[in-house]
Amino acid sequence: MSTLIRTDVTSVKLYKDIILAGIGSFLCTFNIKNSKPIQKIQALDGQKIHGIIPSNCLTKLLIFGGKQFVIFNEIESIFKPRGDAVVYDDWIHTAVWLSENEIALLSAHNVVTTWDITTTKLLQQHINKDNSILYSGLLQPLQHDILVFSGTVYSQVILQWFGDEQPLHYLKGHKGVIFSIRCNLQKGIIVTTSDDRSVKIWSVTSACSDYNIKTYWKNAHIDCVHDLYGHLARVMRNTLTNLYIISVGEDSAICFWDYNGNLLKKTISHQNSCIWSLDADETNLVTGGGDCGIMMHPLSSVTHNSHDEVIDISVTPKKILFTARNNIVITRVDNILNYYNSNFSKIQEIKLNHTSTYQLVGLSSCKQLIAVVDMDGHLDIIIENCKGDPGLTKIIETQLHLGKILSMQWAGNRHLVFCSEGGVITVGASKRNTIEIIARYLLPPCKERWLTASALNDTRDALVVGDRCGHVHLYESRRQQPAYTMKRVHGRYGPTSIDIRNDIVRTTGRDGTVRYLKIIESGLKYMSCKDLEFEWVEKFLDSQGKYLCGFRERSLVVYDVENDLKVVDVSCGGGHRAWDAERYIENNHGCYDEWLRIMFVKNTQVYVHTFRLRDIVSTVILPGTHSKEINCLRTYRCRDDDPVTWFITGGEDTTLRVSTSEQEAEFRDRAVFRHLSNVRAVRLLSVAKDETLVVSAGGRAQICIRSITFTDRKVTAEELVDYQIKGTDKERRGNQNWRNCSVDFDPETRIMDVVVDELNEDRVVIYTACSDGEVRVFEWNRRGGRFTMTQEVRHHRTCILKMKMFTCCNKKIISTCGTRGDVAFWEVSSDGTLAEEPALVLRTNDSGINSVDVKVTGDCQFLLATGGDDNAVHMNLVRVAGEGRWVVVTSHVYRDAHCSQVTGLALLDGLCVTTGVDQRLTSVSWRVEGEEIKTEFIDQKYSDVSDIHGMDVVRDTGDRLTVCVYGKGIQVFELLRPPCVA
Amino acid sequence: MGKTSKDKRDIYYRLAKEEGWRARSAFKLLQINEEHNIFNGVLRAVDLCAAPGSWSQVLTKKLRQNAENDDDVKIVAVDLQAMAALPGVKQIQGDITKISTANEIIKEFEGLKADLVVCDGAPDVTGLHDIDEYVQSQLLLAALNITTHVLKTGGVFVAKIFRGKDVTLVYSQLKLFFEFVTVSKPRSSRNSSIEAFVICQNYNPPPGYVPTMINPLLDHKYCDFNQLTGPNRFIVPFIACGDLSAYDSDTSYPLLLEGQTSYEYKEPVQGPIDPPYKDILEKTKSMQINNS
Repeated sequence: MSTLIRTDVTSVKLYKDIILAGIGSFLCTFNIKNSKPIQKIQALDGQKIHGIIPSNCLTKLLIFGGKQFVIFNEIESIFKPRGDAVVYDDWIHTAVWLSENEIALLSAHNVVTTWDITTTKLLQQHINKDNSILYSGLLQPLQHDILVFSGTVYSQVILQWFGDEQPLHYLKGHKGVIFSIRCNLQKGIIVTTSDDRSVKIWSVTSACSDYNIKTYWKNAHIDCVHDLYGHLARVMRNTLTNLYIISVGEDSAICFWDYNGNLLKKTISHQNSCIWSLDADETNLVTGGGDCGIMMHPLSSVTHNSHDEVIDISVTPKKILFTARNNIVITRVDNILNYYNSNFSKIQEIKLNHTSTYQLVGLSSCKQLIAVVDMDGHLDIIIENCKGDPGLTKIIETQLHLGKILSMQWAGNRHLVFCSEGGVITVGASKRNTIEIIARYLLPPCKERWLTASALNDTRDALVVGDRCGHVHLYESRRQQPAYTMKRVHGRYGPTSIDIRNDIVRTTGRDGTVRYLKIIESGLKYMSCKDLEFEWVEKFLDSQGKYLCGFRERSLVVYDVENDLKVVDVSCGGGHRAWDAERYIENNHGCYDEWLRIMFVKNTQVYVHTFRLRDIVSTVILPGTHSKEINCLRTYRCRDDDPVTWFITGGEDTTLRVSTSEQEAEFRDRAVFRHLSNVRAVRLLSVAKDETLVVSAGGRAQICIRSITFTDRKVTAEELVDYQIKGTDKERRGNQNWRNCSVDFDPETRIMDVVVDELNEDRVVIYTACSDGEVRVFEWNRRGGRFTMTQEVRHHRTCILKMKMFTCCNKKIISTCGTRGDVAFWEVSSDGTLAEEPALVLRTNDSGINSVDVKVTGDCQFLLATGGDDNAVHMNLVRVAGEGRWVVVTSHVYRDAHCSQVTGLALLDGLCVTTGVDQRLTSVSWRVEGEEIKTEFIDQKYSDVSDIHGMDVVRDTGDRLTVCVYGKGIQVFELLRPPCVA
Repeated sequence: MGKTSKDKRDIYYRLAKEEGWRARSAFKLLQINEEHNIFNGVLRAVDLCAAPGSWSQVLTKKLRQNAENDDDVKIVAVDLQAMAALPGVKQIQGDITKISTANEIIKEFEGLKADLVVCDGAPDVTGLHDIDEYVQSQLLLAALNITTHVLKTGGVFVAKIFRGKDVTLVYSQLKLFFEFVTVSKPRSSRNSSIEAFVICQNYNPPPGYVPTMINPLLDHKYCDFNQLTGPNRFIVPFIACGDLSAYDSDTSYPLLLEGQTSYEYKEPVQGPIDPPYKDILEKTKSMQINNS
């Protein structure tokens, strides 16, 4: 039984108020209003769903994929199959309902068939003349006939009347395989997309007016009227609405075109993976991607975007702010502060008495208090009332004597942090109608010696500030000098914002990152980093940390970091101008709406853009995950009986992710980390009940260690080691320009697998299998943080693929498996190093070994099982004798488990579970009888995950085994263990 | 990425350039021959889906060792696309699903049938494994179909295959036409690649079988002796090929190989052919398509 499935979403359909999706062979349904999953049911047998077609009366579904199709009935939003899936002998590309009981299919050899679904009998079959492979097709039902569009591998679309010998038209023009064909009869439009990255709009004109009759098509002229390019890779699918042509592609882009061929909007979705499927009605577009996710996009976002206003204030504005009541404060060069309500009418004007034109303006975190200070220390604090008609009141007007003031920020709602000449930091708190100085600190010398951001931690009485060199300083206990300085956290402009929640310091910067630091006894500790798609990160707009704003080149952008979505992108001219952004919730007759408002100064005018989020924001129906294959996976549970399973996965998309699922639909990424290249191996080392070390390694010879703490459904990560065997680019190159670098003759190795062992509380040893045939051993001191290579041993002359560590005969043993089918066993000494020579070398497989497991069967005896490219499972019983005299007692081969590479293998008591690229999960029993190994087939299951890279045992309760296979997606199976094997 | 990165990453890519092969796949055919001796006594060979021509290069070199006179060796290369000429190889630009192509081959062999048919064709993969595997299997079956027209009884057929979820269906179909079917993976083919090669020996069609192009072979369905899942699946023997001491395509080698004293960068023998997106690149040269 499969309990969790995530893989390419190859089909989506809007049906009444339900979203239907084909995920592998499963039909999954979701409520369109709240995105909640309704149903998951297996529809096909061993085939992915490539199409879901509702009947004309919306009571039945035709579901097809590969060579199968099946009919489902709907009763009150629940779908049930009408019978078994029907297996046809050709690949089905498209299908259509002819009536409530009759369907037509177009298959890959350009064959059209019609079927009676009540009897599942084939009614008619017509083999079209041109029967080379099709890549796409369209069956367009007319009043009494069917118009057949066939998209061939030879870049043509063939148009044919169903039943005719000769085609009507050949649409030529594409330069590659045709991936999709759509047609709108009323508009006389055909839209095609192709491998050649183009979208073509063809117009149909005919002397005859009725498109239901053959004469219309016989006399038709079909010409390509628009040749559109907006995609950077293959254009996979398209769909038509009344207003738009929507195309999706391999480049993760969704392009919205009008019928005149204008590109109205382009958005990137699904984390840079291919978008495989789409469907649209007149209000929404649904897309399914290679990241296993489903998204819904409101079509209102294509044209209607925002409510735009310009506030014209005769005098040049200096600073602009949104207040707590969503009103606007504008300071002007002429020493006047204006107050506008949310409808942009001016309601107040306050005269300021500043002497210097250098004016600093700050807003408290509650957004009610506005502080204005000039260079000479003249300070005004103005408060916005919270009830009644909006109004501002000046509550403090005072003169500070701090010297030349260079920066000022609010730290929370009570404290102001000033930095004046000579790096003097002064913290003041408001007290009645004046300011009381409560602390003074000194900023260490730097080029532009002032602060860019600051925050207070009340409980610890600690101040955290950022300076213009990108350093972050922590001041404590009123001591002048920083208690701790973390250098170069955010590049040369310094942090743009700092906030503290509990002990976690969150900083943003103009280096495209959000960084997380922790306040600890000895100062600050670097925890982790989140990379954004835009360089200039400014601040979070809400307390939950969902919306983050900043600048990308000349645009002001707002991102939803929870769902990795760009929400708003407004061209404003860049980040060097006065601007502000806010997010608020408005109660409109009991209906709560989320709004975003941004404003900026351009040509001395204030531009305000207001967005209602539901008009513009895409909704996540099913959260996505890795955009390419998952190479490695380990599961973790804090306790044996914990219902929550954590999945730690590394992928070809260069990310390492931590995800969880308590219930199926809740499977979602909780943390994403980036490697330089693909992540090929991951291992866990549990260090506390809810904390584990995650060691990940892969391309560019990179090894990373993180500590991950699990609390509830939250993940806290601390980055501990980031190491490259040959050093980072900078370390290797020094200060040389890359052009001047000489050719490096040594290849950078890929780390293929990794094993972790704990010598004691401090010392951790990491063994890596490398593509140049070396086993490299590293030692890392958890306390001191040193990570050093201690040993390089070479036995395999070719790439090592897998590694396994186990204990037998009181010895720690590591086995390494290579591309030649050879296994070497290494004894590990007490200091973690490997013996110079392997204790035993076996050649088990004919070719590369892609999976290995070991089961210790006796005091000094173990069973080795290996699977690989030769699609067999090899078992060897090995006896470890003293003095390095190891012998193979007996060998056995099981050849029927798989018909392709065996990539996953788990050896349990009496049971061997394997998986492979053939997408099967096979259980075989094993036992040792005398000098013989005996195996017997138990069970085999089919998995929808293609390109399976491996398997992990999630839990084993004795009678029930839960395993997770991974590759292009992830699937969890529960296997019942037969009593004889338990 | 530096110019030498690919040389470092892929040993066979580099060796192909150094030895003058048009593609690294040449090594695959050489290694298949080392294990299976498929060139034994072969004088007439057909290379299907031949472009860019590395297998034809191998055939020319190897088959000439079988004959005293170079002219006794006949090699026909078939591809939809034109490919750069190769001495001693007759090129047919044609579709392997057409009877005319089969006739042209026979004509080239002066009415005789081929001793060996090879096919290294693969589609441009879409990224969806099930479709890619299906299209590859159809390509293989189309190759098999034309092979039934041109191969002599007892002849050999070698073709690329994707070992995916439904590969047993292809195996069972091949087994109808050949006495021995094995699947083989040369050392020069990457471990991580789904490709392998079927070596089909002793062509022996079912009694009464008449080759046809009208009703092409469609692949089999799962049945009792070849189940979708279960103990009875049609799995053919696997044989790895290529010398154990041969280079390994997954291993990272230094640019200075063992026994070498110098390294020189070489340009590829044959540049890439026109990709489908060439037009778009031309047309959008002056425009900017941004993903933002």
